Amino acid sequence: MILFENVSFRYPGAEEWVLKDVSVEIKKHEFTAIIGGNGAGKSTFCKVINGLIPYYYVGDFEGKMSINGEDAAASNVASLSSKVAYVYQDFENQLVRPKVLDEVIFSPLNYGYKDYIERGKRALELLDLTHLADEYVWQLSGGQKHLVALAGALALTPEVLIIDEPVAQLDPAHAIQLYEKLKYLHSELGLTILVIEHHTEFIANYCKDVMLMEKGSVKWKKPVKEALNSVEELTEKHIHPPQVTMAAFHERPLSEQLPVTLEEAGRWFENYTIHEKGMPFTVSPEKQQSIVEFNGVHYGYKTLSRKIVPVIKDLQLQIKTGDRIALVGSNGAGKSTILKLISGLIKPLQGDVFYKGDSLKKVSPEKRAEKIAHIYQNPEEMFIEDEIRKDISFFLKVRNHPAQEEITNRIVQQFNLEVLKHRDGRLLSGGQQRRASLAIGLAMQPEVVLLDEPTASLDIATRKKMIAMLGELDSSVKAAVIATHDMQLVAEWATRVVVLNRGEVIADTTPQELFSNQFLLREASLVEPQIVSLCHELKIHPVELTIDGFLRRIKWEESASECFSKVL
Amino acid sequence: MSVFQKFFSKLTVENIKIELMRTAYGNEPTPLAKLDPRMLILWVLIYSIIPWLTHNQTILIGLTLFTAVLAYMSRVSPLLIFLLIVGVISQFTYLVFAAMFLGNSFTVLIAVIPVTMKVATVSLATMAVFTSMDPEKFSDALLKLGVPGKFSFGVSYGYRMLPILIEEYQNIIHSFRLRGKLPAKPGFLYSRYVFYYIKMCIMAFYPMMLNTAKRTRTTVEVLEVRGFSYTLENNIAKDIKLNYLKMTKYDYYFIGISTLITALIYIVGYQFPL
Repeated sequence: MILFENVSFRYPGAEEWVLKDVSVEIKKHEFTAIIGGNGAGKSTFCKVINGLIPYYYVGDFEGKMSINGEDAAASNVASLSSKVAYVYQDFENQLVRPKVLDEVIFSPLNYGYKDYIERGKRALELLDLTHLADEYVWQLSGGQKHLVALAGALALTPEVLIIDEPVAQLDPAHAIQLYEKLKYLHSELGLTILVIEHHTEFIANYCKDVMLMEKGSVKWKKPVKEALNSVEELTEKHIHPPQVTMAAFHERPLSEQLPVTLEEAGRWFENYTIHEKGMPFTVSPEKQQSIVEFNGVHYGYKTLSRKIVPVIKDLQLQIKTGDRIALVGSNGAGKSTILKLISGLIKPLQGDVFYKGDSLKKVSPEKRAEKIAHIYQNPEEMFIEDEIRKDISFFLKVRNHPAQEEITNRIVQQFNLEVLKHRDGRLLSGGQQRRASLAIGLAMQPEVVLLDEPTASLDIATRKKMIAMLGELDSSVKAAVIATHDMQLVAEWATRVVVLNRGEVIADTTPQELFSNQFLLREASLVEPQIVSLCHELKIHPVELTIDGFLRRIKWEESASECFSKVL
Repeated sequence: MSVFQKFFSKLTVENIKIELMRTAYGNEPTPLAKLDPRMLILWVLIYSIIPWLTHNQTILIGLTLFTAVLAYMSRVSPLLIFLLIVGVISQFTYLVFAAMFLGNSFTVLIAVIPVTMKVATVSLATMAVFTSMDPEKFSDALLKLGVPGKFSFGVSYGYRMLPILIEEYQNIIHSFRLRGKLPAKPGFLYSRYVFYYIKMCIMAFYPMMLNTAKRTRTTVEVLEVRGFSYTLENNIAKDIKLNYLKMTKYDYYFIGISTLITALIYIVGYQFPL
């Protein structure tokens, strides 16, 4: 259906080719994942398909791309993109109209379809969004916005759908919901779907083929099972196969067929015996001192109709020295609100927050900042200076701190920002921005650090580095609180998990217990790491939270007959 | 809590955002909202000219009252009314002070009243109209009146971006507060605090503009992909889209009644000039 023949492209004036001699065929009704590191040319490849390249971004274009046998050279953006729908990674910027219905009729209207309203409505129906038709776009949640962007793209009844990193900005429950919709579009409507995706667990569950790109060329395109079995090649390129595949690979690297989904892994590990493990060894905590305390706190926000929507209800919570707390719960459960209440960006409607026993009611955010650092979900909004070094020293400078130079230099080194320190934070990559935002927070030398989604929209390799960095926080702060959707982060980092549901704490426990309790997981719409699911599948109890832990608990029992046959 | 403190506790970025969005989109079924947007634009244009053509104070009082009634019927946001009052009062006082300083006479007080009423009439009329017409209708009306498509789209897109911009701005201000340092003493009449906040509000603009500029890259591509440039070149969508704009009897009644009331005000004004 889509045929690339020796396609190369470079931006005008650039030396490097962004696409180099790409020849590949995407057949009708494929569901293909495109993987590859940063700068591998994934987005560029997709933009050739909808004609943005070379018709909008004019540059040196060589070779030939055709859709359904029609040469794209004789076409234009308008006619190509009415066949090829595109959903961007930063989908929020894709929504250009105020209301949901306006948004989905925008494209059909622009292309002059008389039945534009019906088309829009049909697209909404397809994704079960009809009830949102009259809502204003900015009042929707992230997951809903993504679906609206998708509906807007589907309203043109395209043949091909391209989605750029759909789950990067969604919480796990919404990510699954999105992929279920894609599966439906693929199987029921026969759409050809291309996703740019880092999360191999989704690839294994939903995609049929995988295409690996590197430095502007297509390395290979294989069926999903075969592709994800190339564990060594993928890890070398910083792409991490599913946890179950990794576990199996570490167990028997030479195995011909590694499992890629949970189901397959269940069968693969069937013949293993499981070590019993006593209840986890718990250190009786030293006498913990309470630092932050919530006492009957209520909070709510106002809507357009001036009504107050409750977000936090009667919160009682103590944060103690040495705590590594993960706040978890679905979107809108009140995680970020709790962080803002601590740092003073918002004030409780009722109740009070205490810091070491003193009420914070009359304490300004500026004053609280001397003890508490709050790091945003979106690092861009923390860059208030024109270079990172100035951002890091801002806090110390306005306070005329005597050791500002030393502290700044130390932090710059500690976070490996030596090369980047004179650059504007906005121009860095996602991973570098996170690192810089963490550095800004720690330069304040806080006692308590609050982080909002520190691993969101990072690729897997950067995310691992981030988790390691968070592991070292203990040496410099007394307590850390992270609001997150990332269950792998919870599993590997937290010592205490506070589960929120609709503004109320429904559990305050350890990661171990959270992941053993499937009822609780479901109630808070959380999705456990795959390795935990595998433990449930194999009835390993208590569950293990990491691949290493899992590997220590299983043992390959070669049956006697097999040993015998080997001897012979 | 004093009235003053109570007021300032309500003057948060969040509340201002809500009031602005209510003015823009929070459409209630008021009499003016049912009108064709073109009629509203025409009406507000006329009413921003009329007051400047007369010195008759009776007429000016009448016009101010008429537009005030319309503004009341359109349920204009209290915040806007408050800003109008502050604006009018401050303008009035500074004109009086200036005149007294230069002319040293209290008669200027009376001379300034007509100007103030003219400004009030125009502001009230504008507020009534823009509360009754959401940006979508405004943009469609402009398009129908022959304004280029890029401009009319810009109007509606600008409004659509407003809440996002305000939120971004708010977050950046928060960023300053989370790292900044309040002056140790409030100073005379809180002057140091005020200076601190004003400085912060100005400094926060620069990062906001840069962040916004970064976002628009995707938006520009999207407009291309979703056929916006295509429709500008071909003009196909225009007719389909604007089909719903029709002048009805109601519109003619409105312009009729408006003219009648204005005429009445003029007649009374000429009969009983103040």
